[in-house]
Amino acid sequence: MTQGFKFKHKKTGDIALDGITKVLRALFLIGMAYVLLYPVLFLLSNAFRSPVDRLDPTVIWIPKTLTLNNFVLADQLIGFKDSIYKTCTILVPSVAVQVFVCLMVAYGFARFKFKGRELLFSLLLFTIIVPTSTIIIPLYVQFRFFDFFGVGQLLRVFNHGQAVTVNLLNTNWPFYILSATGMGIRSGLYIYMARQFFRSMPKELEEAAWVDGCGSFKTFTHIMLPNVGSIVIVILLFSVVWHWNDYYLSVMFFVDNYPLSVGVTVLQDRLQLLSESMSAADIALGESSILEAACFVVILPMLVMYVFAQKYFTGSITRSGIVG
Amino acid sequence: MKNNTTAASGHTELNTKKKAAGKRRSGLMERQSRNGWFFIAPWLLGFVCFFAIPLVKSLYYTFTKISITNDGLTFQFVGLENYLTAFTVDPDFVRAILGSIGNIVYQVPIIVFFSLFIALILKQDFHGKTLMRSIFFLPVIISSGVVITILKENVFASGTGQAASLFQTGVITELLIKSGMGLPLVKMITTTVGAVFDLTWRSGVQILLLLSALHTIPDSMYEAARIEGATEWETFWKITFVLISPTLIMTIIYSIIDYFTDYSNKVMRMIVTYVNQGRYEYSTTISIIYFAVVLQLILLRGQSPVQTRIQRRELTGGYK
Repeated sequence: MTQGFKFKHKKTGDIALDGITKVLRALFLIGMAYVLLYPVLFLLSNAFRSPVDRLDPTVIWIPKTLTLNNFVLADQLIGFKDSIYKTCTILVPSVAVQVFVCLMVAYGFARFKFKGRELLFSLLLFTIIVPTSTIIIPLYVQFRFFDFFGVGQLLRVFNHGQAVTVNLLNTNWPFYILSATGMGIRSGLYIYMARQFFRSMPKELEEAAWVDGCGSFKTFTHIMLPNVGSIVIVILLFSVVWHWNDYYLSVMFFVDNYPLSVGVTVLQDRLQLLSESMSAADIALGESSILEAACFVVILPMLVMYVFAQKYFTGSITRSGIVG
Repeated sequence: MKNNTTAASGHTELNTKKKAAGKRRSGLMERQSRNGWFFIAPWLLGFVCFFAIPLVKSLYYTFTKISITNDGLTFQFVGLENYLTAFTVDPDFVRAILGSIGNIVYQVPIIVFFSLFIALILKQDFHGKTLMRSIFFLPVIISSGVVITILKENVFASGTGQAASLFQTGVITELLIKSGMGLPLVKMITTTVGAVFDLTWRSGVQILLLLSALHTIPDSMYEAARIEGATEWETFWKITFVLISPTLIMTIIYSIIDYFTDYSNKVMRMIVTYVNQGRYEYSTTISIIYFAVVLQLILLRGQSPVQTRIQRRELTGGYK
């Protein structure tokens, strides 16, 4: 069938039209690519630029002398090593737990029938819609006086009528706990995506497992998980990127010892203070270069990860079937 | 007589079989239900502890005045005062929220159409397809963090609008003016380019979602449509559009939320600023009002008949 269409005789007009479309498409895509690559190249160019080169009008893209000075200055002001380490300690466990829990919940929503499922699922959609800022303050209080899901309240009797609470602020635990209970950064979206995926998977595999006497959790971990490779990669990458970039929760839950994304804004404030107090022309000039160097440090790991994962990412998302 | 008994016994046999099957079935249902609850249990716990309770508390806070004392936080009930402050006293709030809503109303449709357009192009087969797709996913990485905010301040917005930096050397602008175009026209072009710029950076995730949805449409459908003699236009509306519409709804909602929680948004900045100043109750009031308004917007989008149908299908579609 397809062959027949491929070899269908085309009119000259059609071929010309095809050519025009192709040229227009290429032009459009190149323009878009320029728009998207521009800031990355700009950062790259400015981060390695010395103050002298910044003033030099003949230097447009490639600096005459490459310098790492901006990175060194930025590092002195916020300490990359500590903040990157901090980000990683949040990111790695949180992402692992989040992905597992989201897949598990999604599987529950996709495959089992129980009363109130529709209602609960619409509540899940509701959690995607309500932004964290609406509930951030009670959440903050909850982690300031964390009572282990109400258990601390029950322990009142043993503690002179006071509820047993722990201060979890300025630790990584709020992130872990939120991820483990499916309320982490954009968990709702991942559950939604994974549910659509599970629904599109054939039921035969599970049924075979059932018949062989495999329990439902074991079916999930042994049969479903190994077969969902594509969606796991998509969710994993989204999760890593959004954890890495998270600003709002981090700025709320940490008092000091900030992760990298918050560190950049701290750097911005400090540079502003510096330029106000010193008011020397060269400081003001160097300022944006330092900030750009820091921005570059923030996006570089994600870019590297992206370049490596890109093949799986684009490949898998096109196969994963996130559709209702 | 003999025949009769066999018939009767056959009948009872059938009955017991039926009963057994029914029992087994209800057992299965029960097990299904139990397993279902087991799988969603973590989420349910999180939903109650970290969503429902905080949301109710948030609502309560907006009717109080919070002060920090040695005993911790104390709440003093003040009725609707916070809401009145927001609408009648605060000079910035009403303007900021109207501005934000206005932006959402015209930007979201543009973002969704643009994303669909790009997704349709990226789905096609051409040389350098993989490279282009990777480039279009760049915004997902960059624009979800604080980097985009800094980039916007430092890189894009040097001087007059976001387009300025794209015409950094001024050569293109000069060229346009010299080629006989009026200044207003040149300005219009640069503003449009700036808008496209902003648009591209906002549609990363949307393009991704739509592209994946496009790829799930089986080729056989298009083939069948071609054999039936459908035009490209008809194929798009009757096949592509219908099949990706649930994702399209998701994209619309995502775009609204994304804009809603973006830090370039004035209301969002106000919320964070007031928290930092210690005016928790007022910050919460603002976010509740803001959320209520945006929720109305989302619901409004779901009101049109087509979308209600799509939404119903989206919510219940898979349940057979």
